[in-house]
Formats: sequence, C-alpha cells, structure tokens
Amino acid sequence: MSTGRLAEASVQSAKPSGTARVTDGRGRGRRPGRGGGMARQQSRVFYLCVAPWVIGFLGLTLYPLGYALWLSLTNSDGISENASFIGLDNYRELLSDPVTRETLVRTGVFVAVVVPLGIIAGLALAVLLNRPIRGRGVFRTLLYLPAVFPPVGAAMAFKMIFDRDAGAANGLLGFADINPVSWLTDPYARYVLMMLTLWACGNAMIISLAGLQDMPKELHEAARLDGASAWQVFRKITIPLLSPVIFFQVITGVIGALQSATPLLLAANPGTSGVTTVPQGDYLYMINVFAQYLAYGRFGYASALLWVLFAVILVITAVIYKLSSGAVFYSFEPEAKK
Amino acid sequence: MILARRTSMYMILIALATLFISPFGWLVITALKNTSELAAYPLHWTPDKWQWSNFSRALTQIPYLAYARNSLTIAVIYSVLVTLSSAWAGFGFARLRARGKGFLFGVLLSTMMMPAMITLIPTYIIFAKTGMVDTYWPWVLWGLSGAPYLIFLFRQFFANMPRELEEAAIIDGCGYGRIFWRIFLPQSWPVLATSLVLSFTWTWGDYIAPSLLLSADHTTLAVAVATEYVTPSTGAPINNLLAAGAVMYIIPVLLLFLVLQKGFVTGSSTSGLK
Repeated sequence: MSTGRLAEASVQSAKPSGTARVTDGRGRGRRPGRGGGMARQQSRVFYLCVAPWVIGFLGLTLYPLGYALWLSLTNSDGISENASFIGLDNYRELLSDPVTRETLVRTGVFVAVVVPLGIIAGLALAVLLNRPIRGRGVFRTLLYLPAVFPPVGAAMAFKMIFDRDAGAANGLLGFADINPVSWLTDPYARYVLMMLTLWACGNAMIISLAGLQDMPKELHEAARLDGASAWQVFRKITIPLLSPVIFFQVITGVIGALQSATPLLLAANPGTSGVTTVPQGDYLYMINVFAQYLAYGRFGYASALLWVLFAVILVITAVIYKLSSGAVFYSFEPEAKK
Repeated sequence: MILARRTSMYMILIALATLFISPFGWLVITALKNTSELAAYPLHWTPDKWQWSNFSRALTQIPYLAYARNSLTIAVIYSVLVTLSSAWAGFGFARLRARGKGFLFGVLLSTMMMPAMITLIPTYIIFAKTGMVDTYWPWVLWGLSGAPYLIFLFRQFFANMPRELEEAAIIDGCGYGRIFWRIFLPQSWPVLATSLVLSFTWTWGDYIAPSLLLSADHTTLAVAVATEYVTPSTGAPINNLLAAGAVMYIIPVLLLFLVLQKGFVTGSSTSGLK
C-alpha cells in the first residue's frame, strides 16, 4: 500500500456524482439551502467535518514540530526562561558525539533484525492459519494476544521470565545443567529486547492473513494444475500478490522499530534518571533522546536528536519506496475495485 | 501419511500458542508465589501454597484503585471523543466534495508516517505553559482532534456505503449533520467498536504521555504498576506484588479484546488495508 495509490483512490471518489450535476443545473430554484447551493453547501459541510482534525493538526502536530525545530537551535532546558539561540551547535555536537554513532548503529542492527524476522514470522503464521484446520479461530486469537498486550505488561512479563533467580528462562537452562544467566544485563539484554519485540508478531500475522484471504484463488489453482510445486506457487504467486502488504509492513515496521522505547521500561528502573542505567546493548537512539531530555534536562539537544531521527526516517522511507518500485506488484488497479 | 501431517501441524500450533501465552502464564505464577520462593534456588516452578492474598495486597500496597480510576477516566474521555471526531472527519472525506480535499487527505496520510516522538518535547512545554500539565485536558484535546489512523478507517468504511442512502435523506430535507448521526453512524457499528477498542487500548497502555504530563497522584495504572511496587527503604522491586498488579492491569484489555475479538480483528485488518 503506497500513499500515492491511496491519494489516487481519494481523488477518484471525489469525482462529481450525477446528483450534484443535476442540482447544479437547477441553480435558480430559489429554495434556500438547496439547489445551486448544493456544491457550496457540500464543501461548507466538508470543512466543518475536518475542522476539528485540521485545528488539532495545526496546534498539536505542526506547531510542535516547528517548535521542536526552533528548540533544536537553542540550549533550552524547558524550565528556565533564558534559553538562548545557539545556531547549529546542537547538531555539530551530536555529529561529533560517539554516542550518537553507537546508538544509531545499535538501532540499525535492532531494526534490521526485528523487522524482517517479524514480517517472516507473521507471514509463516498467517500461511499456517489460513489452512482449513479445526479451531483456527482459537489459534489466531492466542497468537494475536501479545499484540494487544499493554507495553508495560509485556515488559513486566519479560522481566519476570528473564529474572536471574526466579525466572523461567534460567529454570529451563537448569534442566540442562547450564548456570544461570543474567539476561537483563549485557550482553544478553539486547536479545531479550528482540524477543520481546518479535513476540508481538501477531500484528503482522493478521495483516498478512487479510492479504492471503483477499487473493484470487484461480491463479493458485491454475498453477497447481500446471504442475507447480507448493513452494513454487508460494514464491511465484503468493509473494508477488502479497508484496503491497509486505511493503506496508516494512514501512510501518521500520518507523515503529526506530522509535522503540520499550527497553526504557524493560531494562532499567523506569523513572526520570533510571534511563541512564539502561544496559549498553539496549541503549538505542530513543533511549539517548530520553536520557538527554529526562535525566540531563537538555531539551534543545534532545530536540536536535529527534529532528535527525525524523530526517533519517524520511530518507529511509524514500529509499524503501525507490527500491520497492520494481518489486511491489499491484494485482488490481483502484478503478477495478469499484 | 495425511493424518501424520495433520497431527504434526496441530503439535506445532499448540507449541506455538503455548509459547506465545507463556509470558502471561509466568506472570500469573510469579504473582502467586511468596517472597522466599522468589529467591529460592533451584527455581520453584509452581508455588507451594498459592498466595491469592498477593492480589489483595497489590491493591493496597499502592493506591491501586485510584490509579485505575485515573486510567479509566483518561481512556474513556479519549476513546469516546476520538471515535466521534474521527468518524465525523472520515464522513467528510468519504462523502463530500470540496476543493482542497485531496490535499488534506494527503496531509492526513503523511502524518501517519511521522514519528510521534518528535512532537513530544514541545508538546510538554506547550502544555506546561498553558497550565495543562497534571490535568486531563491534553487527552480531551487529542481526542477532539481525531486520530489519522481512525479517520482513515472510518473513511474506508463510509466510502463503500451506497449513495442512495444520503440522496433519499437530502430529498426529505435532511441536513448532513442529521444524515451522519441518524444514518451513517448507526450503520458503522463494526468500525465504531474497533475504534473504541483500539483507542481505549492505546490510552490504557500508554506509558510515556502520562509519565511526562501527570504527577504521581493523577497518573495512570501503566505508570504506577511499572514504578511503584518497590521497597521504600531500598528501592528494590517487590516482584510478586508487581506481577499481581500487572496481571490485574492487563486483564481488562484482554477481556475487552476477547469480547469484541471478531469485529476487532476483521475491522482493523481488512479495512485498514483496502
């Protein structure tokens, strides 16, 4: 699913309808609120409909966004009034700070592991649960449950499993006579974080499942009749037909994973200063933002970090669009859907 | 041969399902242990005597019910407002013609791509300057302005409804407000349910906004559960009470999800993508 395609669909639905044209023609009906006022009335009501959202967007998204840009050029701490303009100093500092580079690399590795594995696991589960088996509704629900778990609940559950003394993970290792591992500290903390993220692959499963169920069956049947193996059908037909869905998951997955802040809860005692005790392996880009913001009160510097993240996300999204233009395959045109 | 394949498939599914729900299971088991079992080595897989009292202790160790009320207040305020305002905006995008609609829809979609975190710091400052920190006003404002994802969901649903519905009403002299309230909104109950559940779950689960905007008294269960089950003198977490508190915090969301599961799963997957 690409933004372009959606916008196209909206333009299409905006085409004038038959009714509107007829009433336009009767413009002189002189009946207040009707007749020639039809189109005008429609657009008035439209603006009334979107006004709350537009006002909210201006006040709660666009203005804060610009404010963040201004903050990133100051040494503001958010509290004292005498924040002064320091130009690009924050950006210069973050570029030369080795911590920025380390957290970027660490976050990149995290994204590169978690996003593909999550999509693949979700797709595998979707294929499994798309087959005619008894009780698949129950299995779907059970596998989807982690995706609706509140993040704090998930973090607490994983903390308990990977607790050094009372955790089930070390209990299992005990059966194999392996000594207890301190899972929540380096170097293992990062694996726990990845497991926690992958645990919620039910979201990917549901999206892939919807894609699978939308697919025309004829192509698969024809290919099987022609002697293609199940794997060939999957690779040559299912995957291409599913590519818009996968593309959607890659984009949203990358954006989501880049902003991942759950380790804040998982790895440290959450709170304003606990953020600095996050194990090195979990010290992702967002954790550094929170540390600068909460622990050191450097609102300006944290804003600069966030604007850099925003720019990185824009670049990555653009690159994914570019790379996928040949690989994403739309089975139907928007027109054909109507 | 076929039987063996079917059996192994069920085995795989049962193993996976067990694996996926085991974190919750372990949380429940931990919640039922006494303190000495938490420190015992080798590990006690199940508690010797199930400490059901941990649940009542978790309720009194911290002002649990007050936090639950805060969570509920915020979640209800936000989910009701955001559902209505998103439905209203979605109605506009789906059914009305106007200049600039395509542009606004593009803006809507691009905000879905924007990292939410970037507005966090300025939003805090703005709310602090306008005296809205430590009140529930931010959730009212966020609710009133709708959520792009939900607007999109409603738009998709409304766009597929037959045009005759509103034509007949207009001939009868009905305004668009009435058409929305009387015809479109009642028809859209699957999306309404999806939207209510989703927005309720977001707010109930959100940790960052309440921890930044609310003081300890007015904060939500998400923050309290994560931070307050500690021994006052040492700051060490009290794991069994923490687990009991977390279980009670998670269950409402799971129940809500299970009750509305069918509409929720189909609504949030198919309408989101088509």
